[in-house]
Amino acid sequence: MDYIYVNKLLTTSIYKQIASSVTDAIDSGLLKYNDKLPTEKEICQAFSISQTAVKMAYEKLITDGKIKRIKGKGTYITNRTNFRTDLHSFYEINVVESFHNGIYTKQTILLGKTSKDYSANRELKLKNSELCYLVINVIKSKQNPMLLQKIYLPKRYFIDFEKRLKKDSSLYPFIEEEYNYEIKHIHSTFSAINASASDALLLRMNPDDALYFVREKIIDKNDTVIAYICNYFPGEFTEFEVIVHAI
Amino acid sequence: MLYNLQELITIDRRSTVHYDLQVKESIKSLILDKTFYYKTELSSPDDLADQLKVANKFTIAAYKDLEFERYIKKNKKGIFAVSYFELTNYFFDRNTAIYDAIISLGMTPSIECVEKKVVKLDEKTIMEMGFKVTKNRKFFYINRLYLGDMKPIIILENYLPLYIFSGIDEKFVGDEPLNAYLDEIYNVKTSISNRVMKAVNLNSELAALLNERKNVASIQSTNHVYDKDGRLIDYGISHTISSYYFQALITKDEMNSYRSKLSPTEKT
Repeated sequence: MDYIYVNKLLTTSIYKQIASSVTDAIDSGLLKYNDKLPTEKEICQAFSISQTAVKMAYEKLITDGKIKRIKGKGTYITNRTNFRTDLHSFYEINVVESFHNGIYTKQTILLGKTSKDYSANRELKLKNSELCYLVINVIKSKQNPMLLQKIYLPKRYFIDFEKRLKKDSSLYPFIEEEYNYEIKHIHSTFSAINASASDALLLRMNPDDALYFVREKIIDKNDTVIAYICNYFPGEFTEFEVIVHAI
Repeated sequence: MLYNLQELITIDRRSTVHYDLQVKESIKSLILDKTFYYKTELSSPDDLADQLKVANKFTIAAYKDLEFERYIKKNKKGIFAVSYFELTNYFFDRNTAIYDAIISLGMTPSIECVEKKVVKLDEKTIMEMGFKVTKNRKFFYINRLYLGDMKPIIILENYLPLYIFSGIDEKFVGDEPLNAYLDEIYNVKTSISNRVMKAVNLNSELAALLNERKNVASIQSTNHVYDKDGRLIDYGISHTISSYYFQALITKDEMNSYRSKLSPTEKT
């Protein structure tokens, strides 16, 4: 609870001080999604303040969408940012160098080779036992996972990948600039699936929660599928927008 | 047609991956890449086990998982068939009636009216929906299930303001395609529809209507429909099972166009 700071000498009301302390702790990443907050009683006792002030602080934080109460369990941080994008601009996540601006952070949790993924093998038309590089990234916004990305790059198209891979490079520019492939188009297919236990763990969700599953096939100027990407977005925090016109 | 899965599935007996997972992932990949399409009948788990020379407990487990994930389902003949299908770009390119989109999938469409009534909404709800607040806070609420070949595909709830569609609660039967009806009876033509989609778990009520299990992942779309004067005429929420599908063709020009939109600071 050391992230809460109360200065009784200030004229600022105590409930506002508590609310802004919690907000600051969330913004700095000290408090993360699903972290449990102390009870009202615990804060009252620690700071010798009235329960009304704590109640008001928590109510403000609930109104601001920073925390939520779960009956019988306690009060939890629920500050996850909604990722909202135009459906047609979905590809931006792999183009924009936003990582450098600190909007998103990318954490590579696995870098390896595989020949065992049936869907990737079929989509990439790989022969039996043909190797494919597999990169698993978790993209975060303010410490909260907003995307789990599994990238399959066939070895035959990405020779010396491990040597040429640059940290923090965006995928599409990397493919085009490092390997001189000309991306002709990208096929993205969107569907909803229930989270597996492992995906839920990485996305800090509950197993069986709804996920947006977006499969991308990157196609070069020779109409060859040169890369296959599986994107998993937490359903609750992801919105795709599209405007459709009448005939 | 029953496919001979043996020709398409190879069991790697040296692999550390369990046989049931190998069978499951193989069939799933064949469905996703459209080798097997909607309604394709598959060999029974016992026949497949014989063909692959593995114990039937593996194929039974694989089919059970595929059924749970809604890739396959037993048809009326008791044969496992592909239940996964994809609604195409047709839904997103134009503001067309769902009814017509189902026809484009080669299915016979029908509409079942689950509920219709007049509701009086509070000011806050009306504003949240995006409507202007008038003296008349009554809306015509309709909840309808769209079916293709009698299979539930989409459930759609609409709120239509009575200050625009006066008397619709008495005239609208419930199974008419909505856009065409509004045009024909009220001379109100839909122009633009703004849709925001997210993946959600179905509650028990919606799951029952869509013939799915509770909590199954579904795509929810919140729709604001405007007429040619930019007036909000319809607020709707739809839910559909996960095979709701969008295929985006992103060209290089679009990517370059996006890059050029970035400000100099964003580019660094």
